[in-house]
Amino acid sequence: MFKDLDPILHSQLRLAVMSLLISVKEAEFTFIKEKTNATAGNLSVQVQKLKEAGYIDVVKEFKDNYPNTTCKITKKGIKAFEEYVNTLQQYLNVKK
Amino acid sequence: MQNNSNEPEFSPQQSLQLIRSMIETTKNTISNQSHYFLLWGWAVMIGCLLQYYLKVIAGYPQYHLAWLITPVALAIHFLLAYRDAKQIRVRTFINEANAYLWTGIGLSFFVLAFVFIKIGWQYCFPFYIAFYGMGTFVSGGLIKFKPMIIGGLLCFPLVIVAAFSGYDTQTLLTALAVFISYIIPGHILRYRYQKQSIQSTML
Repeated sequence: MFKDLDPILHSQLRLAVMSLLISVKEAEFTFIKEKTNATAGNLSVQVQKLKEAGYIDVVKEFKDNYPNTTCKITKKGIKAFEEYVNTLQQYLNVKK
Repeated sequence: MQNNSNEPEFSPQQSLQLIRSMIETTKNTISNQSHYFLLWGWAVMIGCLLQYYLKVIAGYPQYHLAWLITPVALAIHFLLAYRDAKQIRVRTFINEANAYLWTGIGLSFFVLAFVFIKIGWQYCFPFYIAFYGMGTFVSGGLIKFKPMIIGGLLCFPLVIVAAFSGYDTQTLLTALAVFISYIIPGHILRYRYQKQSIQSTML
C-alpha cells in the first residue's frame, strides 16, 4: 500500500521552490522568482502555503530601504521533502 | 494520487524531472568570487616583486615598505565585500564553507604575523605559500574548479623548494605561487562567469 504524495509538495510551483531551497542555505524571493519563472503573485501565494505548512521560514526585512523577503527550508520541510522523494521512488519502482 | 489544487495533474516522473532540473539550476549558479583571488593575487605578487626590486636591485634598506600594499588591498577587500553583501540574493552551503575557510586563513595570517615578529620574518614565506596552496586547493575543490585545484597543489612543492632557498629567492617563489594559484585561476574563473552571465542573458 503506497502512501499518498504530500499534497503540499505535489504542486509544480511549490515543488520547484522546495527543490531550489533544499540545495541552498537561503534564497531571496527575487532569486526564486527568476529561477522558477513564476509571477510574483502566484509565487507569493505558494510561498505562503509552504510557510503555513511549516516547510519554510520566511523573513521579511528592509535591504537598502527596499522590502526584501528571504526564504529558508526548515527541518520539517527537509523531512517532508525526503518523504516525498521516497514515495515518488516507490511509485516509479512499481511502474518499472 | 491526490492533487489539492486546480493545477494540472503531473506524474511522478515529471515531479522527479522538476526536482532534478531545479537542483541543477542552483548548482550552475556560480557566484563570482574571482575578484577576491585577483585582488590578493596581484597585491601579493606586486608586494613580492617590489620587495625584491627594493632589496636586491635598488639596495634600499626600507624594502619592507613594499608591504604597504597589504592595508590598501585589505581596504579594497572590505569595500568589495560590502558591495557583494548588498547584491547577494542566494546563500549556498559552498559559499558559506568558502567564507569560513578564508576567514580561517585570514586569521592564521594575522596571528602568524606575531609569530614572525618573535622568530624573524626570514621564515615567513614557506608558511604563506603553504596557506595559499591549502586555501586555493580546498576552494577549487568546493567549486569543482580544476585550474584552482592544480594551482593550489603546485604550491606544495614550492614550499619544499622555498624551505631550501635563500630569503630573496623565497620572495620570488611566493610571487610565482600566487601567480599560479590565484592570478591564473582567478582570470579563468572571471572569464567563465562572464561567459555564463552572457549565456543566461541570451536565454
